[in-house]
Amino acid sequence: MMENTVQLLERPAGATPWKTRSQNFRIWIAAASILPAALSYLVYLNAGLSGAAILLIVFLPLQLLGAAIAAAFTRGRRGVADSQLSVLVLFATSFVAIMLGSIVFSIISWGLKAVSPHFIYQNNVYVTPTTSLEYGGAGHALIGSLLVVGLATLIAVPLGLAVAVYLTETKGRFKGPVRFLAQSMSGLPSIVAGLFVYALFIATGTANLSGWLGSLALSLLMLPTVVRMSEEVLKLVPGDLRSAALALGAPQRRTFFQVVMPTAKAGLITAVLLGIARVVGETAPLLLTTRLMSETSINPFYGDLATLPTFIFSNLTAGFDTGRARAWAAAFLLLAVVGLIFGATRALTTQKVK
Amino acid sequence: MTITGENIMDAKLQNANIAVLDAESHLEARNIHVWFKDRHVLSDVSLHFPTNSVTALIGPSGCGKSTFLRTLNRMHELIPGAGLAGSIYLDNEDIYAAGVDPVNIRLRVGMVFQKPNPFPTMTIKGNVLAGLRLSNRRTRDEDDLVESCLNRASIWNEVKDRLDAPAGSLSGGQQQRLCIARSLALSPEVLLMDEPCSALDPGSTRRIEETIRELSADMTVVIVTHNMQQAQRVSDQTAFFLAEEGQPGHVVEFGATDNLFSAPNDPRTEDYVNGRFG
Amino acid sequence: MNTRQVAKGDRAFFAVSTAAAFITMFLVFGVLIFLSIKSWSTFSAQGTAFVTGSTWDNTTEGGTFQIWPMLVGTVLVSILGLIIAVPASIAVAFFIEYVAPPKVSRIATSLIDLLAALPSVVIGIWGIFVLSPVAATWSQSLSGTLSFIPFFRNEFSNAEGAPFIAAWTIAVMIIPIITSVSREVMGRVDKDLISAATALGSTNFSNMRRIVIPTAKSGILGGILLGLGRALGETVAIFFVLNLVFEVNFFHILEPKGGNVASLIIAKFGEATPEELNALMAAGVVLFILTLVVNMIATSIVQRSEKRMAS
Repeated sequence: MMENTVQLLERPAGATPWKTRSQNFRIWIAAASILPAALSYLVYLNAGLSGAAILLIVFLPLQLLGAAIAAAFTRGRRGVADSQLSVLVLFATSFVAIMLGSIVFSIISWGLKAVSPHFIYQNNVYVTPTTSLEYGGAGHALIGSLLVVGLATLIAVPLGLAVAVYLTETKGRFKGPVRFLAQSMSGLPSIVAGLFVYALFIATGTANLSGWLGSLALSLLMLPTVVRMSEEVLKLVPGDLRSAALALGAPQRRTFFQVVMPTAKAGLITAVLLGIARVVGETAPLLLTTRLMSETSINPFYGDLATLPTFIFSNLTAGFDTGRARAWAAAFLLLAVVGLIFGATRALTTQKVK
Repeated sequence: MTITGENIMDAKLQNANIAVLDAESHLEARNIHVWFKDRHVLSDVSLHFPTNSVTALIGPSGCGKSTFLRTLNRMHELIPGAGLAGSIYLDNEDIYAAGVDPVNIRLRVGMVFQKPNPFPTMTIKGNVLAGLRLSNRRTRDEDDLVESCLNRASIWNEVKDRLDAPAGSLSGGQQQRLCIARSLALSPEVLLMDEPCSALDPGSTRRIEETIRELSADMTVVIVTHNMQQAQRVSDQTAFFLAEEGQPGHVVEFGATDNLFSAPNDPRTEDYVNGRFG
Repeated sequence: MNTRQVAKGDRAFFAVSTAAAFITMFLVFGVLIFLSIKSWSTFSAQGTAFVTGSTWDNTTEGGTFQIWPMLVGTVLVSILGLIIAVPASIAVAFFIEYVAPPKVSRIATSLIDLLAALPSVVIGIWGIFVLSPVAATWSQSLSGTLSFIPFFRNEFSNAEGAPFIAAWTIAVMIIPIITSVSREVMGRVDKDLISAATALGSTNFSNMRRIVIPTAKSGILGGILLGLGRALGETVAIFFVLNLVFEVNFFHILEPKGGNVASLIIAKFGEATPEELNALMAAGVVLFILTLVVNMIATSIVQRSEKRMAS
């Protein structure tokens, strides 16, 4: 007679038999991971080659060979191709991780050496590239960047959002070309955006170098990101929701502003933040459309205006050690701004998922 | 006696020492338990599949029959959090023993999925030969192999004039038969089928059932199905799986198909085969 | 509220969005047409030599302005950058989607997206002070051992400022972009197909070669072209790490003789004569056309593959 209840059992340790390795397998893997590194180190000690050259022309081939031999003896011919893929993928990934890690690490370590509270709130008046780091700061550039990017946002976001509305909410006949051209614009070189604004306003004598021209150039660069991201977000709003609102007699614009937009709020803010992240460090267009100064200005519509990217650029090109230190410190500030924006987008997107 | 996790592993070790099994059994599962993360979903399943037999696994959804099927060709371990205790013997060798390459097992134990999944980037012919190409092997006569596999999956006549057309151009039923042909190209000893007809129309279903009967002349077939008529039509033996409220799935009854449907031993089997639940 | 008012409000709503769409559409042409008008004097004065000649001289009457070495340099550095970045990006994308445990791949994904937004001036400062000295030693290893191959010849004592080093800088910039796109298209490959292949006895390697790459290849190609578009138009980072020389250098990648259209504009802009300024705008037009063509191809490939994946 059969029992009528089946006991629930706790999962025992080692309930993954596919992970148990034979002794033989362990020895091969250990040998394949240690020997190539050890041999390469010996070559490094005895031959006068740079570390990177050793990695690429000694370690990588040895590691590929070692993995191939180990795989051939443990898994047969089939395992060889797999082992080569694993080695190459891991090698390339660690390499990229080192390169990108090096960027972040250098900016943080060099930046922290030069950054100080007064660097964040003071401006650069009476400071030359050789002045000691105890004086002056990039506060004026930070304010200038916020003004220029803020103004660019005010231009690009309504325009980009309206385009996204055209692409998702209307029956427009030119959706294909509009989407295509907006996307192609994302490859507009930033220097060309700067040249365009220069040619349109400064070369024609309509305006002088000033912050708002920089904002115009940046908004050109921001627009494709805002359009693409908001279109994707608006597309995610279920069509039923729109139909429901329309069925209640709400006009299209109300449906959009009171139903669709609030539903997609977090995504739309993310779209805006990504657009900002795209342009906050843009340098080339600002070099053509604004003029750096050492005083603080809060007027983006008239006169000279400092921004973080141009501050970095001019300190670097001046060619003095203190100038370089200031450039690193300002790069650190810029990285912090980009990091903050990304932190905000991540917080928003995880919230949306919940 | 209370069974604890430790005991299961002990039991497994003891079983490993019993080298000789029922000589008729081509494939045998012994005391299989499955966990996902810490949830015990399948308890103590022991089934044997004689050579060239067709076995149907039936039961309501969520009873673990598809999960069990995936343990038979080591596809189970690819699911994150998967856990397993017990042994599967293929020709008296434990397929979960250390040092066994899962790829070798999957080449011998083929699988057809619930949803037809031909490779969209390949042609019809390419799909049949996909198994060979994926495992980097060659055959002397590709065309013969393609024709015989498509023939055995009874789709040759429909596709012989467009072997170079993309696989996506076929109907659902044709795609599923193409997937069967794709498995056959590797000449598996065992063919696992996970509800192969659930997405198909009655006509296609009937043709696939005929194919299964024909295939069992030279391979062992295990088929998961929701459809009790189908189980009766195609199988020699049937296992009834059930997961009751708060309990892991398990085999309630296992026996010759005719007996299980006409004279079930367990009242729950009787209720199920007579359509009273599930 | 009467029906007429409703219609009026909606009409305004649609009119605004349609207007925005048209403004965006015409912006692309607007930039092109306006800059072309501004630089017309250069094109007519210099003729085709503007693109094919190698002299830049603002001291003579009217000046001689030709950008061939800059164009060659732009393409050379971008292609070298792709040679480094493409295999690395595909490897990282495969690692994130198919090798790394879920937690690692989540973190790696957000890091890559963050790095794709690193400002080029930040890459530039890292490029001169951190990368250049290190890459110069790589360059010396290459020219020391392989100088019999023309590519790796270096007759100068200096290794910095060469296309080789600019290419590494560019590669670091575009790796996150290409990885980000490739990762996404690889992630969209139907998991059922991978299961099917695995059940047919496939290994990781065959899955990658026969299933993932063929299914995702057009999306990856689109990502590569987006990276190329970015590389062609990159200005500030290259300005710092590359020597601009008005002498055509097709392939001596280790010699400190480079060219770059965008960097030329930054370098000459400050003290340009009026004719020179027009010439720089003409250079901008050429650069824009180059990147626009690359980006249009990229966009159409990506859009087509998205449509195919969706169906």
